[in-house]
Amino acid sequence: MESGQVNIKDIHWLMDMLQSIDVGLVVLDKDYNVLVWNSFMENHSGIGPAIIKDKNLFDMCPTIPQNWFRQKAESVFLLKSSTFTVWEQRPYLFEFKNYRPITGSAEFMYQNITLIPLLSADNQVRHVGVLIYDVTDIAVSKIKLKEANTKLESLSKTDHLTQLNNRGAWEQQLEKEFKRSNRADHICSVVMFDIDHFKKVNDTYGHQAGDEVIRRTSALLQETMRLTDIAGRYGGEEFGVILVDTNAENALIFTERLRQRIEAETVEFDKFKINYTVSLGVAEISKDCETYQQWLERADKALYVCKETGRNRSEVYKE
Amino acid sequence: MTTQVLICDDSSFARKQMARALPDNWDIKVHYAENGVEALDQIRQGHGEILFLDLNMPVMDGYQTLEGIRNEDLPTMPIVVSGDIQPEAMDRVKKLGALEFIKKPVDGHLIGQILNNYGISFEDEVSKTVEVEIDGYDLDDSYKELANVAMGRAADLLARLLKAFVIMPIPNVKHLGIKELEMALDNVKADDSISAVCQGFIGAGVAGEALLIFNESSYTDIAELMRFEGEIDEAAQLELLMDISSVLCNACLNGIANQLDINFSLGHPMVIGQHIHFDDILKGAASTWKELLTIEMGYQIENKNINCDLLLLITEDSIDTLNERVSYLLE
Repeated sequence: MESGQVNIKDIHWLMDMLQSIDVGLVVLDKDYNVLVWNSFMENHSGIGPAIIKDKNLFDMCPTIPQNWFRQKAESVFLLKSSTFTVWEQRPYLFEFKNYRPITGSAEFMYQNITLIPLLSADNQVRHVGVLIYDVTDIAVSKIKLKEANTKLESLSKTDHLTQLNNRGAWEQQLEKEFKRSNRADHICSVVMFDIDHFKKVNDTYGHQAGDEVIRRTSALLQETMRLTDIAGRYGGEEFGVILVDTNAENALIFTERLRQRIEAETVEFDKFKINYTVSLGVAEISKDCETYQQWLERADKALYVCKETGRNRSEVYKE
Repeated sequence: MTTQVLICDDSSFARKQMARALPDNWDIKVHYAENGVEALDQIRQGHGEILFLDLNMPVMDGYQTLEGIRNEDLPTMPIVVSGDIQPEAMDRVKKLGALEFIKKPVDGHLIGQILNNYGISFEDEVSKTVEVEIDGYDLDDSYKELANVAMGRAADLLARLLKAFVIMPIPNVKHLGIKELEMALDNVKADDSISAVCQGFIGAGVAGEALLIFNESSYTDIAELMRFEGEIDEAAQLELLMDISSVLCNACLNGIANQLDINFSLGHPMVIGQHIHFDDILKGAASTWKELLTIEMGYQIENKNINCDLLLLITEDSIDTLNERVSYLLE
């Protein structure tokens, strides 16, 4: 707006507009004294323009992050160039309540801020204009969308029955670990195991009983492994575990402990008491493996040996 | 006696702008050069008693040209005409022997004054022998020059913000469909980890977006220059990103608006993402522009590992207005 276009009598309604616009307008001088404070600011802060006029902003609004705000404003004065901040940086500059205190889901008003240099007649910047936009709705939906996406991502990686990694996610981890170990010369072992004669459990006691056996197996597995180990449900009654920083010898200690725990466990379902066992194959990472699939295949071969030699055992892969 | 004037600039548009700005009643013959090598050659032939010299040029830039003039002790009065207006750039060229430093876009009145200061008068001369072919210039060249001046202003602010010297390369103009946008960037590789902020602008029939692409390997050095204390975590990176983008986008868009004599409305900047790759930028884009005018402006900081790209994307329907406005620059 060019000043030449505005009549003095028009100033009145122009001011009226600035007052009632639903954006916060503040004008500050170089010492951060408040010169303009529109209705938006008055109504959301509860501080009237008559009270705050010519007072120091930081004294009147002590919750403003002073250093942060000063740094932004100084650059506006120095460079005569606007600066923008977004709610992702800092949710708000002024601690205002949500515009919709009842139906809104955020407690406070998220704000985007623009600081603009205000030129005096002599082309100097002695004042800075602060615009405060309410972006609560945008911020809330963006945050919710992000949460939903994170949840979806986790759902798409989790096996519903056991809450372990599903096959895809577990194989991805295995590949990552394979690459990491190769690169950094870390030792690492992978275990494949399955429930012996699982088909018989299903046939004798029903699928629900079978599900319970799988759930219990997964619970025992999680109790036995370390936090850093990565477990997944590979297939129906098949499981995989990545034992980070573990050689074959120690992996075998782990598999034996797990095997014995499961052997000692009784799953009670309806009126049935079900005892069952597992067989486990171990393969330590080796330079001979060119892909993670080859590594996994070795664990599978060791598992096959257990099956051939009587089940309820664990074996380390041998050439 | 006819004075030999040499205009050295890689942009044909800028050469024409310069020639148009020379005083009307001055008995001169104008010669042109596209880079320093050509300029030195012309001066040796006696075609450059007065030299108007651009700084940012391919093959041999203005600094090297000044060195060449000094080394060979060539007879010329070099006046630098530059879009790069950092005080440091002025200091450097003065030390290399430039008589004056004129900011682009050139102002005819100012040039007259400067020439007067050096005892060159043309008040009484009657004939003007400048033959300038105005009609016809390469449009891309004109955008390049427009961007060059705008990025010079942005570089000046960035230099003051960081208290460092900003290296200004030549803007990179292309016409691309929305699907081939990754080709707009010569400085950013597809697998670089980047942060990006975009800001929309519109005014007088020209609309588009400014996209700031920040190579994430730059954060350590940027934080050091901005005297940022503490750990450079994701939040700190966002602060730095917003500070830089505020300055660069604003200054550059204002620089363009000023030259075209329009006023842009700027939207609030939006963070497109951190730790992303370039092809993530357009994932949510709904537009189907067949052709966009893209101008890449790469900024580097001298002796620092800081790389950021300001990419201006201008919509197809803005081009006619833009061309019309650009043509006024030669009047």
